Amino acid sequence: MIEFRNIEKSFFGVNVLKGVSFTVPPGQTVGLVGENGAGKSTLMNILGGNLPPTAGEMFLNGQPYAPASPRAAENARVAFIHQELNLFGNLSIAENIFIRGFPRKFPWVPWIDQRTIRVRTRQLLEEVQLARSPDTLVEQLSAGERQLVEIAKALALDARLIIFDEPTTSLTSRETDRLFAIMARLRERGIAMIYITHYLAHVQQLCDRIVVLRDGQVVGAGEKAELPIERMISLMVGREITQLFPARNTKPEAEIALDVRGISQPGIARNLTFQLRRGEILGVSGLMGSGRSELARILFGLDPCATGEIVLNGQSLVGLSPRERIQRGLAFLTEDRRAEGLCLEAAIADNAVLVSLPQFARGAVRLVDRNRCRSAVDKIREAVKLTASARSEQPVKTLSGGNQQKVVLAKWLLNEPKVFILDEPTRGIDVGAKYEVYRLINELVARGAAVLMISSEVEELVGMCDRILVMRRGEIRDTVSPHEFDRERILRAALHDGSIA
Amino acid sequence: MSSSSSSQLGLRLLNQASLILFAVVLLVFGVLSPAFFQPANAVNILIQTSSTGILAVGMTFVLLTAGVDLSVGAIMFVAAAVGGKLILGGWSLSGVLVVMLAIGVVYGALNALFITRLAIMAFIVTLATRYFGRGLGLRITETRAMNLPDSFYELGAARILGVPLPILIFAGVTLVAHLVLTRTPLGRQIYAVGADVEAARKAGINTRGVLFVVYVVCGLCAAAAGIVSLSQAPAVSPSFGNNREFMAIAAAVLGGTSLFGGRGAVFPGTVLGAVLIQTIETGLNILNVNSYLYPLIISGVIFLAVLLDAVRSRVLARVNRRRIFVEAEPT
Amino acid sequence: MRRVFLSEYLVLWLSLVYFAALAPFTPGFASWSNFQTILAYLLPLLVVAVGLTLVLIIGGIDLSVTSIIALASVVGGKIMSSEEGWLAGHALAVPAGLMAMLLVGVGIGMINGFAVTTCRIPAFIATLTTMMFVSGLAIWFTLSRKIGGLPPSFVMLGQKLWIAAVITGVATWLAHVTLARTLFGRWLYAIGHNAKAALVSGVPTARVTFATYVLCGLFAGLASILFTAGLETGNPEMARDNLLDVVGAVVIGGTSLYGGRGRVVGTVFGVLFLALVDNSLNLLGLNFYTVTMVKGGVILAAALLDAMRNKFLARG
Repeated sequence: MIEFRNIEKSFFGVNVLKGVSFTVPPGQTVGLVGENGAGKSTLMNILGGNLPPTAGEMFLNGQPYAPASPRAAENARVAFIHQELNLFGNLSIAENIFIRGFPRKFPWVPWIDQRTIRVRTRQLLEEVQLARSPDTLVEQLSAGERQLVEIAKALALDARLIIFDEPTTSLTSRETDRLFAIMARLRERGIAMIYITHYLAHVQQLCDRIVVLRDGQVVGAGEKAELPIERMISLMVGREITQLFPARNTKPEAEIALDVRGISQPGIARNLTFQLRRGEILGVSGLMGSGRSELARILFGLDPCATGEIVLNGQSLVGLSPRERIQRGLAFLTEDRRAEGLCLEAAIADNAVLVSLPQFARGAVRLVDRNRCRSAVDKIREAVKLTASARSEQPVKTLSGGNQQKVVLAKWLLNEPKVFILDEPTRGIDVGAKYEVYRLINELVARGAAVLMISSEVEELVGMCDRILVMRRGEIRDTVSPHEFDRERILRAALHDGSIA
Repeated sequence: MSSSSSSQLGLRLLNQASLILFAVVLLVFGVLSPAFFQPANAVNILIQTSSTGILAVGMTFVLLTAGVDLSVGAIMFVAAAVGGKLILGGWSLSGVLVVMLAIGVVYGALNALFITRLAIMAFIVTLATRYFGRGLGLRITETRAMNLPDSFYELGAARILGVPLPILIFAGVTLVAHLVLTRTPLGRQIYAVGADVEAARKAGINTRGVLFVVYVVCGLCAAAAGIVSLSQAPAVSPSFGNNREFMAIAAAVLGGTSLFGGRGAVFPGTVLGAVLIQTIETGLNILNVNSYLYPLIISGVIFLAVLLDAVRSRVLARVNRRRIFVEAEPT
Repeated sequence: MRRVFLSEYLVLWLSLVYFAALAPFTPGFASWSNFQTILAYLLPLLVVAVGLTLVLIIGGIDLSVTSIIALASVVGGKIMSSEEGWLAGHALAVPAGLMAMLLVGVGIGMINGFAVTTCRIPAFIATLTTMMFVSGLAIWFTLSRKIGGLPPSFVMLGQKLWIAAVITGVATWLAHVTLARTLFGRWLYAIGHNAKAALVSGVPTARVTFATYVLCGLFAGLASILFTAGLETGNPEMARDNLLDVVGAVVIGGTSLYGGRGRVVGTVFGVLFLALVDNSLNLLGLNFYTVTMVKGGVILAAALLDAMRNKFLARG
């Protein structure tokens, strides 16, 4: 029903898309996968009317399709649900759905027909199974509920094609299941869908067909059965990946680096207790909303805790500011690198040096030694294998997601942390960059540091960690040792309230 | 459990902070001077609020889009200068009023043009046009004061059904503004643009058009405020309208409008803020307080109101903080 | 040509071009005595503009700087004046007065800093309120009168241009070094870019923000010394109409109102340009109002150039 024919797109002479051709049959769900920079977003932006193609054509149900704007795309009943949801928190659900075209009470008079939009919104909310009043302000909704409002918007358009761009990144497991159920219903109604994601397992679960992009070209396309996960990965990366996780040759030591006892905060954490050893990678698993990031923020001093003790190499951290904890050897890679990890407009070098800057400042006036900074930045760039084509003076926002994450890592590694808390270190980055991140983590613990790794990908935890804590509802439900590594056991602990077998 | 419920109570109180502040002010002045509660006094306050109130209502439109208009005082001045010249030159009052309002529209459109088409920050554009307008007004009045004929004064003294005309104009402007903001597509789109202008653009809203309209509305209100101001004191001095923008912003913020856009209302919000400021001034007047102390007291009250709003945001954030689990009931 | 357009010295070039273009038509523009006039206008403005630059870089704003200048002016006058000062004729009158004026700046700066960091009030409205309060305070303090009779040893600081220039130069240089070379300066830029990321990265954001507002107040106090000495009067309405001059000059100099971008050097050029424009228009015999109008146009043009330059840089 939608056909891409030889779509090309270049920006300033750089070819981002080279002759992309594939079709999305009516009523089918096509998964679009590829590394960051492969061209997925560009292609979808062309489909959604945000960008014009440099060459090539698109056809919608056999008719030429060339939207000049997102509005034109919507008029053609093509809906685009972006990763960053386009909702207005200060308006109600109903107003968000109809913001572009309010039905009027009297023709020609700009007076909103409140009753009609309420009725229609209620219908739409029923279809997406969102049990909320149409007058609810969007800011009061959870991430999953907002996702459903976006889908309701698409349904309001009577869309026949819906593009989903990384929809599950901020969703809890339950919300993800709900999303998939709704997508199944949409499929039954004959709506075609394009689904972009890094979660290859979801692609296998949801899609009928899969298209793999690499470097702006289609390197593989076919039915779901023809493209199992390993095949997808190797096509995406262009080489056989026999191993997703680098080898580790060190074992955790006996000495305890971080001793956490009885951390409690009303509504957030319940009696959290564990020890982290030197040279150990301790994983923290659990569903979204189980309190893992909250634990990390408490350990780092960004959020308060009512009771409990945190001891780092013999020193108590309770009551200390993040800055003081950093000085004692703590590091924290936050969940959202754009919001809390990077100064996007600032140069790569400035970002990389931010944490360890005090070390380069001399004298009472704290003059910064620029030469030492520069050489430190050069060294750490090599260590994290930051893309060589980027100059250190470039603003960090010009980098891809994977490279941006490397800058954040570089920033912390430069300070030589003793305990490194990582919250979703490989979120939103491609397979190649992931491997690099894993390698860096291994090197870090080989040097005697300790890592606390929070992740929603159980495979990642199983592949990297020495032990895994499983959290649920603010508590640590289980501690899983290597020889007990069993995906089922971990999930069970995360899901059940009862005692652990 | 107790901390949560006290937070809820605190939040409820804070949500009505402006109203409570208003009540407190009324109480204080009422106790200190019985003359305060005379109905004539209330009418007086409303009349004197009208000019700043209309200005503040127009400013609210701009603030809702996360913009600002620092030139409204200059718009008042230019409109008054031109109007004064025309009426002294023999024009009819109604013609002069139309011209003055037109000037407000044109001035606002100019601001809008620079902000939307040339993509310069509103702060800078209106700063520059403020200079420009002030200079223009001084040029027109040749830096001398102009005394206007009685026709303006009669406008201010006129009453329809017993209600003074300035109050009616104020009420009318507020009503229209309120309806536009709450019941029309344009109004809701203004809130959308204020919340996230990029998202608004992606959603297909004509953001340029929306921004254009808010600055034109603000200019129009500035001209109207100038008319009402002249109706109470029919003279155009070289300092006419000077620094009025700050009071307008203060009134809007006092009334709950956020400087970051997307939040606020003209009624009761901005109107309440403007009336509150004027009430304090009038009250101090009645109490024969040293007039030098007025700006100190008023700015003190504004600071208090803004502080309460900041506290409210903090409490709101804490109450809405995602709870992973609910505290176990006592066993 | 393109390089000039994109360079950071654009405003300096503009100033030189402007000067060269207008000198032949403007009587006395290129004379020594006019140079002194320009300097007298420029120096105090530069001091307060530099302080404001720091606040803008951190992503804040301080609308109260000119009212600080006014209050410091009358406080200093009240202490030092040989006619009515509290320490009239005393040997320590001038040092005490100077100290007091700087302390006024620091004090108001601390109030601003407190409002913004601890009370979490948005800087625009916090400093707007402070501006109204401090301005009213200054007027009340002297009941709208000006204070004369300032001791010659004080007046010399502003009247003797070389002294004023040295004071300004030192203050500007200190600000430049702080911003460009010290840890504190780097922290300012980081907070201006992304305060949350800065906090997570170990920057003591609250303390740095507070200190910045205090510094801005201090610079305003210093500017007040130069203003008051130059005009030989303690004036409760000192600099009241200059607020927008200051902000305009800083913006012309390339400091972004959004934070994270700006340099002291840029502010110097911005103030220079504005001073040249102001001076030349006055020399051309233009009326006060025409000068005002032209200034508005100049600020607009500068902002336009800056916007165009940003678009250019973003695309490249």
